[in-house]
Amino acid sequence: METLAPLEQEVAQLIIETLHLDGMQVSEISPTAPLFGDGLGLDSIDALELSLAVTQTYGVTISSQDPNVRSIFASLRDLCAHIAANRTH
Amino acid sequence: MSLQWTAQHERGSRASLRLIRWIGLRLGRPVARAFLYPITLYFLIKARPQRIASRLYLNRALGRAASLFDVARHIHCFAATILDRLFLLSGREDLLDIRLHNPECVLERIDAGQGFLLLGSHLGSFEVVRALAIGRRNLPLKVLMVPEHNQVITEILHALNPQAAATIIPLGTPESLLQVKESLDLGCMVALLGDRARTNEGTLTYHFMGRPARLPIGPMTLAAATRAPVVLFFGLYRGGNRYDVIFEPLTEVIAPNRGQRAQAVERWTQRYAERLEHHARQAPYNWFNFYDFWDET
Repeated sequence: METLAPLEQEVAQLIIETLHLDGMQVSEISPTAPLFGDGLGLDSIDALELSLAVTQTYGVTISSQDPNVRSIFASLRDLCAHIAANRTH
Repeated sequence: MSLQWTAQHERGSRASLRLIRWIGLRLGRPVARAFLYPITLYFLIKARPQRIASRLYLNRALGRAASLFDVARHIHCFAATILDRLFLLSGREDLLDIRLHNPECVLERIDAGQGFLLLGSHLGSFEVVRALAIGRRNLPLKVLMVPEHNQVITEILHALNPQAAATIIPLGTPESLLQVKESLDLGCMVALLGDRARTNEGTLTYHFMGRPARLPIGPMTLAAATRAPVVLFFGLYRGGNRYDVIFEPLTEVIAPNRGQRAQAVERWTQRYAERLEHHARQAPYNWFNFYDFWDET
């Protein structure tokens, strides 16, 4: 398993806490695996809650109208790249 | 099993639907309604699984053994509301006698700019509610739905009214519910139907008409996650040209903290099941779930 960058560790922790993935460790989340469907198995309610948590924590809004919205949620690494590029706090 | 509706093909080919559309719009509603009798007879003979499902349901809803005539009446009611979708989507709701019950609970929230979920079911006509919202009043409405269901009917009817098509938020993508949240934040009402579970969707088992049935917990989970109030609606067809559209406030914000959510979702889904049963008993032939809802066979 690849090691996580600091922001990736932080966001992985946020995912676990927000979605109550009880018993899961940060180290168990692969940075490149899909967050939805086959990978972590998140669903659209999870996507909503994760995006609300990301907005609250980093000031980054994820809009459904963003043409890249699917790739933002593609993996932990993609999500972190979006946060890093747009964060206000 | 109760998930078989997803695989069930819409009966009635594109050509026959086009024909009935032409008849309805050119020759008028009374002429088109005369065709409902042979159409009912056709489905009564040809659609065996639906006929069996109808009878199982009617036995419970009517509290007696349903006759073949009851089943015919059930199919006729369904066909009549499908036909009326034509008129509703082409802006001819003046042909219908639509009576609203408690619309204030919807209009007050809209005036206040407060988004909410408008939760319905396959009991009665959804189109009558949509037509009122976008046609006559231009109310801010979005409709969250599975895109592939009813494809032939949807395609033909939406060609009549692109504005109705534009209100749809398709379910099943990561961004679907983001769009719901954004719409709620803008003060829209977001309509969805809460009685059919999709494959791999979380459900809970409730007593429904005296027997365990599975209902999806998605709608109430969405209400909890978005902190949106929930208003129930039922667009009941009463025969002739009469519809009763009933609105009922269900709940304000569900479970403000996540720890209590599962319990709250369970409780409010139970309440939804109770209201659905209540109205289904009042308007038994409006039940448009023609599959084995209780997993009895």
